[in-house]
Amino acid sequence: MKDISCKVLVIGGGPGGYVAAIRAGQLGLDTVIVDPKPMGGTCLNVGCIPSKALIHAANEYRHVSKMARGERTPGVRVENPSFDLAAAVEWKDGIVARLNGGVAGLLKKAKVKTVRGWARFRDGKTVSVDTETGTQVIRAEEIVIATGSKPVELPFLKFGEKVLSSTEVLSLAEPPKRLVVVGAGYIGLELGTAYAKMGSHVEVVEAENRILPQYPADLTRPVAARLKDLGVVLHLGAKAKGLVGEDALLIETAGGRDERLPCDKVLVTVGRAPLTEGWGLEELALDMDGRFIAVDDRCRTSMRGLYAIGDVTGEPMLAHRAMAQGEMVAEIIAGHRRAWDKAAIPAVCFTDPEIVTVGLSEAEAKHQGIEVKTGQFPFKANGRAMTLEDEDGFVQVVARADNHQVLGIQAVGGGVAELSAAFSLALEMGAVLEDIAGTIHAHPTQSEGFQEAALKTLGHALHV
Amino acid sequence: MADKFDLIVIGAGPGGYVAAIRAAQLGMKVACVEKRDTLGGTCLNVGCIPSKALLTASEKYHEAKEELDRFGVDVGSVKLDLKKMMGHKDDVVKSNVTGVAFLFKKNKITWLKGLGTIPAPGKVQVEDAKGKKETYETDKILIATGSDVMNLPGVEIDEKQIVSSTGALDLAKVPKTMVVIGGGYIGLEMGSVWSRLGTKVTVVEFLDKIVPTMDEEVGKQFHRILGKQGIEFKLKTKVTAAKAQKSGVKLTLEPAAGGDAEEMKADVVLVAIGRRPLTDNLGLDKIGVETDKRGFIAVDEDFQTNVEGIYAIGDAIPGPMLAHKAEEDGMAAVEIMAGQSPHVDYNLVPGIVYTWPEVASIGKTEQQLKADGVAYKVGKFPFSANGRARAMNATDGFVKILADKETDKVLGCHILGPNAGDLIHEVATAAAFGASAEDIAMTCHGHPTLNEAVKEAALAVDGRPIHI
Repeated sequence: MKDISCKVLVIGGGPGGYVAAIRAGQLGLDTVIVDPKPMGGTCLNVGCIPSKALIHAANEYRHVSKMARGERTPGVRVENPSFDLAAAVEWKDGIVARLNGGVAGLLKKAKVKTVRGWARFRDGKTVSVDTETGTQVIRAEEIVIATGSKPVELPFLKFGEKVLSSTEVLSLAEPPKRLVVVGAGYIGLELGTAYAKMGSHVEVVEAENRILPQYPADLTRPVAARLKDLGVVLHLGAKAKGLVGEDALLIETAGGRDERLPCDKVLVTVGRAPLTEGWGLEELALDMDGRFIAVDDRCRTSMRGLYAIGDVTGEPMLAHRAMAQGEMVAEIIAGHRRAWDKAAIPAVCFTDPEIVTVGLSEAEAKHQGIEVKTGQFPFKANGRAMTLEDEDGFVQVVARADNHQVLGIQAVGGGVAELSAAFSLALEMGAVLEDIAGTIHAHPTQSEGFQEAALKTLGHALHV
Repeated sequence: MADKFDLIVIGAGPGGYVAAIRAAQLGMKVACVEKRDTLGGTCLNVGCIPSKALLTASEKYHEAKEELDRFGVDVGSVKLDLKKMMGHKDDVVKSNVTGVAFLFKKNKITWLKGLGTIPAPGKVQVEDAKGKKETYETDKILIATGSDVMNLPGVEIDEKQIVSSTGALDLAKVPKTMVVIGGGYIGLEMGSVWSRLGTKVTVVEFLDKIVPTMDEEVGKQFHRILGKQGIEFKLKTKVTAAKAQKSGVKLTLEPAAGGDAEEMKADVVLVAIGRRPLTDNLGLDKIGVETDKRGFIAVDEDFQTNVEGIYAIGDAIPGPMLAHKAEEDGMAAVEIMAGQSPHVDYNLVPGIVYTWPEVASIGKTEQQLKADGVAYKVGKFPFSANGRARAMNATDGFVKILADKETDKVLGCHILGPNAGDLIHEVATAAAFGASAEDIAMTCHGHPTLNEAVKEAALAVDGRPIHI
């Protein structure tokens, strides 16, 4: 097989990698991207997109189930709704396939060459790829490492038939009767909630003493309440110890007692680890930052011509952070003057209700020694939320007490994921409370909650 | 003579009640005159809120019937209980209007129940339902009387067979056929509600396009999508008469340009040709407050009329007839009275149509920019290329951003698509800052969200979207 020489080589076709490659191609750089799987990485194949599709289907099923019981949307009578997970999975697979094809098409349009296979560094400028038709050697002036991350496996709960990672749980033939989720972070709760809505009996085991430990506690309360409604049983401050017999998970409860949780499947979502093995990291001399590859504010590694982006470079492990890094690196390679200076990277949790955080929480700001003001506006005082039958949750603003600069915005509630861009933009523009309060927000929308939260922080909310 | 107030607001719609609350916060002694039995005006009682409650409920009904099997949700039978759905809508209205009553109490605002008139500057007379009149003295008066349905000559509204938006929110049964006169946002929203519930809806519009103020490209695709949903359109057509009969309403239509009349029948006719300022019962001519020939009150940039101490806001003055514009007017007007210097930029008022998909816009349309001779760039991005839209099974529509060719400043944004009404607020925030399209493009947008389509449209302004 003839060797390939190119300007830019991107290793990994996830959102970080493919965006870097497309942008590099747009800028006229001779670019190659390598991935063993269909383009799109974890996010598109077994992460964000397929999970949101199943969450959407589960939400709709939950809604009609409640309609059938006369608990939602009075006036619409539905009889005997049922859920066919296989059909939902097929629909989801169709979406993934179309998006895979879409990304492949975008790469082609940007004149990026795609090589399908597993890449391995030979040295800092050379990579060999195991393809279906043999070994392909690629030499590149600049290489972008975008290998992403993988689910963390627990040594006493190896992934297999019964113990699933976030990948396998997206392609089950039917909802397990009893599902135990180990880890109450956002991935575990998003998927656990979806299965509870599909009809599974779900129990969640979490080592910390509350769900979503990375989020401020007041934001997680509406989620905990919804889980309770759904009949999800929480075991907080508890440790999973392993499977016992055919169908039970042994845990140690907060009280130190052993307890057997009967289950048909166990979903382990205790975090993700950077994918730093199997692609020849040992052939390189990269500085590391703990488990992650160390990078500077231009995503440069310690070796000249080698960049790293996305989950392999650290937290937050989010697709949109990877994409923004990818875009930046491509521009830097093309000679643009760019550096990482994002004021805001939104974190969106597609639980029920959804959670959004941007910038600093009140506690984080105080921890930095900043004197802050905060204000919260509840959706139960928002007309649009009432018309949507979804009044749980609130928007909260954290601002400097002295000059009112907005430092952080948090929200929990139905559909708040779509409020996140306005939050990020406000932080990026360096908004003060008066800016948000003075921006005309349309009525009736949930977005009014943002304006009201700013007004509330200023001491004169209108609708509470 | 009863109590003396610092401010009497006439009308407790979103402009009036917000002004009253803000004034009370600023330390004024405030009263608000309202003739309805409940606060909240058109918006809360017979406008935005009940219509959105019915839009959501009817959407759920339609979805349960038609859409859910695509992703494995099977529903045996779906039946409509209209009475219950209306009851739900009434409950939503009730909790909203009692909410405002609570806010009045909390802010110590006096509610003067009855019809307000202005016998002289500094005086407001309130006539209650029994005809008892009381006059109150006040330092300042704020007119927030809002607007009313515009009538069409030859078409008498009876709110049963020939209805306004008010009657269309309260039909006792689902009509088989409905003619909506006027292809504006109210007609299309209410037409959508009844179409989803099973009515065959025909929209008759005088002009050659629906929602004529909308960006044309958005309007065209919007028209096509509504057509696919089963709504029929008769453009360039006028209704010259509509007569209620036992077996329905007989309409006479004519081509707008003139020509042969044709007849049409419908169970219900909705008149939605617009709204007019409701300023004729205040006694304005007696005290010399200027209005234009359509009844809009002329105000200066402090919202003050030509008579000192008398102010006006909302639908009663020129500008977009929207609840949130009235709210902003109201806040600004009383802050000005209190010596502050607020400002409302009508170019930054977002507008939303709550159909499915929604349409939201802010700033200039492409046609306006052309007419103004402004050099601009366009960036567009379709929801079919957005992952969240795919995962929601909602891929109709697109985002369009218009930016200044020289400076890249965002001049307008038009969104046709799911949740457009929330997505527009990122651009509203950006536009309030005078941001460039690049500012939006450089902001990190959460994945997977519909918001990403806004970012991509901003990138497209510079000719470099990633996902298309």
